[in-house]
Amino acid sequence: MANAKVDVVIVGAGASGTLYASVLAKAGKKVVLLETGPDWQLTDLISSDFWGRRVKPAGIPFLLEGKNPYGYAYQAGWGVGGAALHYFANFPRYLPNDFKVKSEHNRGLDWPISYADVAPYYDKVAAEIGVSGDAKAEELWRPKGAPYPMPPMKTFRNGDVWKKGCEAAGIRMVPAAVGMNSTPFKGRPACIYDGWCHVGCPIGALANPQVTYLADAKKAGAEVRALSTVTRVLTNEAGSKVTGVEYYDAKKEKQVQEASVVILAAWSAQNPRLMMNSATDKHPKGLANSSGLLGKYMMAHYASGTWALFDDDVENHMGTVGAQYMSYDRYDKTSKKGAFGSTYIVAGTALKTSDLGGFANARFDLFGPQLADFMKRAKRGITRLTAFGEEMPNIENRIELADGKDEFGMPMAKIVHSFDQDAVALWNANFEEGMTIAKATGAKEFWSARGNQPTIHLFGGTIMGNGAGDSVCDSYGQTHEIGNLWVAGPGLFPTEGASNPTYTIFAVSQRGAEQLVSKWGTVAG
Amino acid sequence: MSEIERRALMKGAALSALAFTAGGVEVLLSPRQAHAQNIAFKTLNADQVATLEALGDTLVPGAKQAGISHFVDQQLSIPPEQALLEARILNIRPPYANFYRAALGTVDKASKAHNADRGFAQLNDSERHAFVDLMRQNKVEGWQGPPGPFVYLVLRSDAVDVVYGTMDGYAALGIPYMPHIAPAKRW
Repeated sequence: MANAKVDVVIVGAGASGTLYASVLAKAGKKVVLLETGPDWQLTDLISSDFWGRRVKPAGIPFLLEGKNPYGYAYQAGWGVGGAALHYFANFPRYLPNDFKVKSEHNRGLDWPISYADVAPYYDKVAAEIGVSGDAKAEELWRPKGAPYPMPPMKTFRNGDVWKKGCEAAGIRMVPAAVGMNSTPFKGRPACIYDGWCHVGCPIGALANPQVTYLADAKKAGAEVRALSTVTRVLTNEAGSKVTGVEYYDAKKEKQVQEASVVILAAWSAQNPRLMMNSATDKHPKGLANSSGLLGKYMMAHYASGTWALFDDDVENHMGTVGAQYMSYDRYDKTSKKGAFGSTYIVAGTALKTSDLGGFANARFDLFGPQLADFMKRAKRGITRLTAFGEEMPNIENRIELADGKDEFGMPMAKIVHSFDQDAVALWNANFEEGMTIAKATGAKEFWSARGNQPTIHLFGGTIMGNGAGDSVCDSYGQTHEIGNLWVAGPGLFPTEGASNPTYTIFAVSQRGAEQLVSKWGTVAG
Repeated sequence: MSEIERRALMKGAALSALAFTAGGVEVLLSPRQAHAQNIAFKTLNADQVATLEALGDTLVPGAKQAGISHFVDQQLSIPPEQALLEARILNIRPPYANFYRAALGTVDKASKAHNADRGFAQLNDSERHAFVDLMRQNKVEGWQGPPGPFVYLVLRSDAVDVVYGTMDGYAALGIPYMPHIAPAKRW
């Protein structure tokens, strides 16, 4: 069934898709957002670790391979709002050194743009959706920018003890920048520090799409179609333009949505899968893939966690699930001997009992009466420090189509991912430093949260670059080969830095969306 | 608006108990209530229930009474996209019943192989503890099925959920729950 042609169809209603929808709808474009999951409302966001799992995927059409298979489900989105419906809303920026790794170290890749190109959009996003923090304090590590619209969030003893430990270890901590309200902002209330951010904030204190870009997009006339799964991007006979998408609606009936511009904002893994499944005789390896780089250079963060247990109450039930304090003091790519890549350190988080981040998993080896005893001892005195590490882009880490098909007849895909020796070395080095910091806190007990090296966030697959020879997209997200096919999200990133990516996703998307509006006549043609 | 008022405003905005069938009628209960009322199982058989309850109590004392078997059974009977199981975020491919049947069957089979044909539920407390300790370290000889450490992870998570993850569990530990939207039935 064909629907009336629109200006823009956006595949995916998460962080980047809703931002594009907001900017384009406000510019007067007719926008349709297609989202594979449900149309979550704020009232669906029950404060519970197990009820919170409903907003995450229940099986995805990806096979997981490699030495460090990508663990998608905890952090992925499913439904309107995407992963940003349940993100921690840590809003650190990337730093200038993230954009020029190849130039400065002859490792990895360069972005085709610099920090200065993105910086104005960080400020713009902060003003639009609200960021709390201390921009001046961050000038220890980055160029000056606009002040944040809100002061830093409250801190609690579960963060303060780590600040003390870090300072004793020579690591400077500043208030974490977060996409949350420390004060009322644009009609949204201030945070009340209940620590349920990770299952979705229903009060509007955290900047999830439902209360920011999605709300703005709907107000400007954008249409959201939930439970709509896109299977192909359609092209004209010459293969020179995309004409729309094919999708299955909530009744699992096949539909076509024609559009002047198609924006893929479905997820770093799903965008390449869609582009590969849209291959034609004019694009035999998938859309915009003459470089052969579609689906390549997948990257993930990893974390080295350190637990500390105090005899007294550290108020660990209070706060947000994001951070209270952050540090870029180990962000130089060569800051750890024998390793390579940046480290971003955060501390101060509200803890719950269960789920992957719950403190029942702080001593994963314990069970039975020993676990029960530990839970009693830890309930008020345990707290965690986290150091995120950077992985360099590796062409062998990739997405490719696989045997088997999903319920819509679309080929499955596989995510192949392994950490290299530098990432393993940095992960280990960050555990060692975590123990040094923990010792300096004066905690009664402290230990590393070692297990399998985790994979956190997902980047690459449709990287930006200077031309079709070295990349899939340009710095705005426009594919090099098909002018009216755009890609949004962290799939564009040629390197991943070490800090949480969503603020940069928003900034890069804002830059791309404004470019699309300004070049509309040329692009939509 | 005060913090208390704001919480109250959100309370009850969504229904969040689990649906069980009692006497042919659908009722909303917590797993603990379902266990206490001896609600019939829909997906797991009697052997699987016995193994799960014994394993649950070995992993987290109180898991049987908290309704681990009713929780898992009810969850396996609904579409995976509605499931609340931690299996969902541990990248287990639906249908989740496949994993649970394989895991519980493997535990029982390995237990019988090492304990004179006694299934896990027939072991005494110290034997159960010793078995789980080996399982979590992947040291059970002849183990054939989902990896022991992963079975430990998934079932320990379920047991933690029903004992410590509920409003009752927080209250028992003495930790403020502070919901924006409270789960119904103290879930």
